[in-house]
Amino acid sequence: MSLPLGAFELTVERQQIPSRLVRMAAPTASVAFGLLVGAVIIWASGQDPILAYTEMARKGFGGRLALTGTLVLATPLILTGLAAVVAFRMKIWNIGAEGQLILGAVASSGLGLWLGDNGIGGPVGIVLMLAAGALAGALWAGLAALPRAYLNTDEVISTLMLNFVALGIMNYLIFSSFSHWRDPGRATFPVGRFVDDSMFLHRFTGRLHIGLFIALAAAGALWWALRSTRWGFEVWVTGDSPRAALYSGMRVDRKILSVLMVSGAFAGLGGGIEVGGVLGNLDPRALSLGVGFAGIVVAALARLSPLGVIPVAILVASFTNAKPGLQVLGIPSEIVTLLEGILFLCIVGGEWFLRNALRLQRRAGPVEAVPS
Amino acid sequence: MNDSVLLLSLASAIVIGTPILLAGLGEMMTEHSGVMNLGVEGMMLGGGVVGFWMSTQYPSVPLAMAVGAGVGALFALIHAYLAVTLRVNQIVSGLALVITGTGFAGFVGSSNDSALIYARPQASLEPVFGEGMRELPLVGPLVFGHDWVVYMSWLLVAVAAFWLFRTRAGLALRAVGEDPATADTVGISVGVTRYVYTMIGGAGAGMGGTYLMTEIFATYQHGITAGLGWIAFALVTFAGWRPWRALVAAYVFGALRNLGFTLQILGASVPPDVLNALPFVLTIVALIIISARPAAARKYSAPSALSVPYSREIR
Repeated sequence: MSLPLGAFELTVERQQIPSRLVRMAAPTASVAFGLLVGAVIIWASGQDPILAYTEMARKGFGGRLALTGTLVLATPLILTGLAAVVAFRMKIWNIGAEGQLILGAVASSGLGLWLGDNGIGGPVGIVLMLAAGALAGALWAGLAALPRAYLNTDEVISTLMLNFVALGIMNYLIFSSFSHWRDPGRATFPVGRFVDDSMFLHRFTGRLHIGLFIALAAAGALWWALRSTRWGFEVWVTGDSPRAALYSGMRVDRKILSVLMVSGAFAGLGGGIEVGGVLGNLDPRALSLGVGFAGIVVAALARLSPLGVIPVAILVASFTNAKPGLQVLGIPSEIVTLLEGILFLCIVGGEWFLRNALRLQRRAGPVEAVPS
Repeated sequence: MNDSVLLLSLASAIVIGTPILLAGLGEMMTEHSGVMNLGVEGMMLGGGVVGFWMSTQYPSVPLAMAVGAGVGALFALIHAYLAVTLRVNQIVSGLALVITGTGFAGFVGSSNDSALIYARPQASLEPVFGEGMRELPLVGPLVFGHDWVVYMSWLLVAVAAFWLFRTRAGLALRAVGEDPATADTVGISVGVTRYVYTMIGGAGAGMGGTYLMTEIFATYQHGITAGLGWIAFALVTFAGWRPWRALVAAYVFGALRNLGFTLQILGASVPPDVLNALPFVLTIVALIIISARPAAARKYSAPSALSVPYSREIR
């Protein structure tokens, strides 16, 4: 493909390995472009874009309270990001992290309440709660994984649909029934029962709890597993060419099951950590905020790198953390969601420059006839 | 008999099914071209909020619908550019579009000078047919009791079915969705086709969102679509990519939205959360049944090139 520009022509070539300069410049330029588009919209709506941006940065990162708040919000996002990374690496499109996280929260709060009712608590209770969350997430993903592995049922749609089924289950447990999860003392405005205080995750400073470090450890573990284990190698081969994997004797069906369930386990663990570290109960109002979908975009922006998920998740979380602060200034907090979407679109589009090289060359002139 | 609970709830299933149908039909055309746009919920909100704003400014529902459709198509254009020209992952781009559309609607709906939350549309639609016809038993409320948007949606279903399976353009569209390389070889522009039908999908979502806000609720609230966009996305799969099936499925899904009230009046109590989840359960079940039966899978499965970017250079 080429575009003539006077004496020059601009050619587009595919490239496998982008130069270091492009690797740094493309995302930076995309972010800058996205911020510019956002600034125009903010300005057009009669607000001051500079003020909005400085406030967003301040409310996201300025000071201990802002920073710990951001890190707390980043924790589930890191885990849903990892859920997307492991599945997308094998080109299994799990877009059900939202539902897997919800089911993880349902299971861990349910088990936590049951343990509390039976006088068990403390660290044992915490470990069991988190394990129950991960297991529930894995099993919920398994509902889509089984038909995908054995009937070749499209997992994009099934995992997507299961999100809303999970949402229905959670709402039913709190709003439409007198379940184990619901606080029987509150009839008019239903809320979930709280687990015993001894099962809250350890807090350091502000709202920062140990869940962040569990998420970081999970990222490290996934990084290691994808890089250094036979399982990771097989995930890579199967993603690249399922046929090659099959002919070399790998069990592709089992790989699909294991990858989707590991993916679900990450998201489910995120749900467990939200219950143990932030909410203390099953709270549908706090658990249906799109962390699963955002995790997919986070994973894509991190180019499916488990460690890359961490900074991207923190950045996205800082946006969310800035929302209430902007509202106080009279800037509609929804601008943050809009800006987030615009930035996502721009950065995703900017990936193009990593896969293609632009070259400006002098055009080859017409061949002149040589007089004989 | 026209006052019976069952009949009234069927009639209202058609009303609530209409935005689902408009958005779902649009998405169906998009998917037939091989582009999957997960952003329906975002386009419905983003297109709908501007359509609703138009209806508060000027007393014309058709104008509001047209504006909503146009804005929805512009949102879809972003997806088309990313998915077709830049060939990025369509899932990621679609989800980013959901976030953008939701944020856009929230921002437009709450910026101080517009305050759409308190605004009301200046016009509303009347039933097309006279009172005599609307009072006919059975067919009165079900067939003759609606406004023109409902009839337009029926017409669009017929046009879509005819277009897809009886015209040259429809054949070209399906060829692009099934086997873009071959379509390219016979001179069909894969890029243009995908751009056009992706934008048609956005227009459907924008129209659906506008109808929902201006006619059904006659108000704007944050997150007013409440998952209807996702139901519309599910509809395409549930209907096996066939327009007439989409018509029926949209009303089944619409009925499930209302069933809670109906059953309550009839004395049975089924929690609304269970009913809200049912369309998605049904879609999963249909998907699994279809994929388990090879004969059905050939007829009612997704276009082969769905969500696969096309490039002449990489075959």
